[in-house]
Formats: sequence, C-alpha cells, structure tokens
Amino acid sequence: MIRLDRVNGLASIQDLGRPGQGHLGIPRGGAMDSFSLILANRLLGNVDNAPAIELACGSYEITFESSSWVALCGATFEARIESEIKGKEDDRPLWHGWRGRVNPGERLTIKGPRQGVWGYLAVLGGIEIPKVLGGHGTFLAGHFGGHQGRQLASGDILNLSSHTETNFSRPVGAVHRANDGILRALPGPEMSQFSDQDRKAFWHGHWTVSPQNDRMGVRLTGESLNSAKHLSLRSHAVLPGVVQVPPSGQPIVLQADAQTSGGYPRMAMVIEADHWKLAQARAGQAIRFQHVSPNQVEDANLEWQHYFYRLARAMDGS
Amino acid sequence: MRDSHRFIPSLQINIYPLGERALVLDPTPEATLSWAVQSKLCWIAEQLRQLPIVEEATPGMNNLTIVVRETRQLKAMQARLAELWQSAPTETLERRTIEIPVSYGGEAGPDLISVAQFHHLSPKEVIKRHSQASYQVFFIGFQPGFAYLEGLPKCLHTPRLATPRLTIPAGSVGIGGEQTGIYPLASPGGWQIIGQTQLALFDPTSDDSCLLKPGDRVRFTPVEIAL
Repeated sequence: MIRLDRVNGLASIQDLGRPGQGHLGIPRGGAMDSFSLILANRLLGNVDNAPAIELACGSYEITFESSSWVALCGATFEARIESEIKGKEDDRPLWHGWRGRVNPGERLTIKGPRQGVWGYLAVLGGIEIPKVLGGHGTFLAGHFGGHQGRQLASGDILNLSSHTETNFSRPVGAVHRANDGILRALPGPEMSQFSDQDRKAFWHGHWTVSPQNDRMGVRLTGESLNSAKHLSLRSHAVLPGVVQVPPSGQPIVLQADAQTSGGYPRMAMVIEADHWKLAQARAGQAIRFQHVSPNQVEDANLEWQHYFYRLARAMDGS
Repeated sequence: MRDSHRFIPSLQINIYPLGERALVLDPTPEATLSWAVQSKLCWIAEQLRQLPIVEEATPGMNNLTIVVRETRQLKAMQARLAELWQSAPTETLERRTIEIPVSYGGEAGPDLISVAQFHHLSPKEVIKRHSQASYQVFFIGFQPGFAYLEGLPKCLHTPRLATPRLTIPAGSVGIGGEQTGIYPLASPGGWQIIGQTQLALFDPTSDDSCLLKPGDRVRFTPVEIAL
C-alpha cells in the first residue's frame, strides 16, 4: 500500500490504453509517453501494461507501507527516498531511469522535472486498480478508469498488486533516448490538397509547441497553413499522431486522449516511434517534421526494439 | 434513413492509408449522405472487428477507418476491404427506436429562446419541430457514447455559439449547425443547448456502455417545457 501524502501537480494512473473502442467514442488513452512507461515497468520485471502513476510538473510525496521497488522514467524529476523514522539517516536519491528499493515507512519525494513533461513512477507488481472497459488508465475527461476516474489527490491510498519477492541483485538503469524534437511523419490523406507553399511550410518550417496542449492534443504555432480554410470534410475517425489543420492554419497533433472523430483535414501522421517526443516537448520548444517513407517507419520501430533488447540483455541475471 | 437513398449507384471506392497502421475506406464522395453506404460500412466494421489482425474499425460519416496491429498487414487488408465492400449488404442493422425524454427550455435549455429568435419561431414551435422529426444514428464518435444523428430539419439549423461554454452538463441536448445531439459527458462545447435528458447515454460500468448504436432511430419526447 502507498499513501500519497502530497500531490501538487497533475498525476493519474495510466497504462497502455484502451485501443479498439473508437467505434464507441472511447479514446485510446493511456500513457502520453508509452515507451517510458514500458521502460519503468521492465526495470521492475512488471508486464508492460502494469498500471503506473503518470506525473506532470509539480511535487509529490509518497509513503510506502511495505517494502517494494520503484522506477521513475520519462521526464527527469528529482527524487529522493527518505526514512520517516527518527534517527534513521538513510536519505538517498532515486536516480532517473533506475530502479530503487524502498522500505516500509520510507517516503519518496519527487519534484521537477528539469526536462520533459511526463514522468512514470512504476511500482513492483504494478498498482492494483480495477479495469474499466478493458483498461486501467484514467480517462480524465470521461471521469472513468484509474483511481475513481479522477486525477490523484493528497491523501489518496493506492494498493499494490501482490507479487512474489524479487531478488534483484544489483541496481539497473537505462539511458533515455534523446529528444531531438524531430517528428518523423507520413503525409496525410489531405496533404495533396494543400498549396505548394503550405506543404513547404509544413515540412521545412519551424514549429513551436504552444501553451495550448494537454492530453488530447498539442497545438503548434508557426507559418499559417492557409489552404485549410477551404477544406472541409465529412467526419472521420482520428487517431493519436494525426496532424489536423483547423481553419486557423495552425496544426494540432492529436495525443493519447484525442477525441475519436474529427472533420479537419489530415495533413500528416506522426509515426508511432516518435509520439513520445511531442508529448515530452514543453510549451515554447521547437519542433520540426521530417517526411519519411514506409521503410523508414520500419527502421524507426526497429530502433525501439533494439533499445529494449539491449535493456533485456543488461538485465539478464540481475 | 430516406428510402430514396437505399440504392447505391455503382459507387467507386477509394482506399487510402492513414499513417503506418491504418487504412480508410471512403466510398467516393456522393453529394448527399447515404444510409445504404453507412449500413454497408457498419457491417464491414463488424466483420473486421472479429479478425485478430484488426485493432480498430471505426466508422465515420460515410467512411471507415481500420487500424491493423502490424504495418505488414496493410496490404492484405486493402484487398480484403475491396472484397468486403462488394459483398456487404445494405440493410443489416437492427432498427430500434429509442425515445429520449427531454426537458426543454429553462435551466435545462438556456439557448432555446435564442434559437427560436434566430429562426423567427416561438420556442414552442422549435420544440415541436425538434421533437417531431425522426433521427438516425450514423455513428458514435467524438466522446464516449456521442451519436452523430442525421435528420435535423433544415428550419432548425443554427450556428454554434460565438464563444463555447467551458462546461455543459451531461445529457444536454443541443443544436450545432446542421446537427443535433446529446452530450453524454460534462464537457466544454459550442452547441446551442435547448434541453436536457436524464437518460445515461454512456455508462462505463456496463459492458454495453453506449445507449445508442448506429442504425437506431431516435425521437426526442418533451417531458417538461419551461418557457
């Protein structure tokens, strides 16, 4: 059991989402940076989809009632494990991207982040939370899933799934992949209906993450893509990664909690291997789009497979 | 829908990719929406959802988006879609009629008066026209359980609010442009709200989470009128 003594930021329970229910209007949802969630879970030997706490900027204090292991991945928060018991001087850092042991009565304090937006705190065995509509994650706008369908608050108590005692013999950590802000993308169905100038501006222009961004989508600012004013479509399904261009000409890239249908022209589709980069980009950060071929998409997926393969090798026998 | 739309002239279909794992089936645009086309698409979506390689099959307004689990399955899916389109029947869906009891006007429908003024009608006349029409669910999207309804009489088409409201209560019945619908969840929104229903459009605790399904006919029944 863990107790959230202080939650001073947007925190919610997330897993890998609820794919396959778009026809019911239910968004895919789940972690904004699913690779970091998977990484945190793998460091602890959890299944990839084990529910964890997704944290956005702020500060958090969590007390552990029983011994466990934790891993904090994604955005670079500063985290320390401190003993609540007087006289017991056992204050130590929990390194970003590493797993660490926590003992009963110890408190984990987290603040930041210095880089990125979304952090993932995974706990050995995962957080015990009932599945709703096939997923553990919180769909904040829909008020269901996760812990009582809402963001976490000070005073919440979460149970941990039971697990057999592990014998991790040494600490293990992973280096996160660098976020270069380059979103590899395939052209969208309406790309050809935009003017030459708009297409050039899209692929070669510099875009900035606007402050208008949340779990549904990120609005980018840059040169206005004016053709969008004259393009209107019948409503169609949309997915995370779709780059929509509303009449304002400023693109919106859909994120995990995106609504399931839309009517704006689909300029491009960010490849799945790069979804995390936009999620982890802060307001004001520069973004560029890079046109890739289907073969390059396969390479990008392989890069992730290799990353996790190397992690598995490093963890062998640990 | 209108019976005159039942026959599909030899429609060309268009199948195109959307990113690395999705295909869109888009029967080449007809001027008017066709229930027969939609019915075929819903049937195809049902079939596809049974296949292990399909992660998602989501109808839109006379189009269908299919997500496969792996990129390499796209090619086979493309051929499959063309076949399915040929064999799909046009009248397959169960046609239920769902009555939606609505409290019109007053606090439940803060925009009823301005909608009436916009059309130079009395609020009562707006309610009468809104509740006498028959609507059909084309697809569910936007929010969990939100139904895209076809059938709002032309005389009630009303522009959206200039400034969307930050929050609209669940069950609100609104008009936005050529559409009418019910907000299943409390959310921000720009539609003109004319009433509210107590029915739950979406229940996350139920396996059958959505009240409405494509093909359903919807009627709004006034149960309370506040003018």
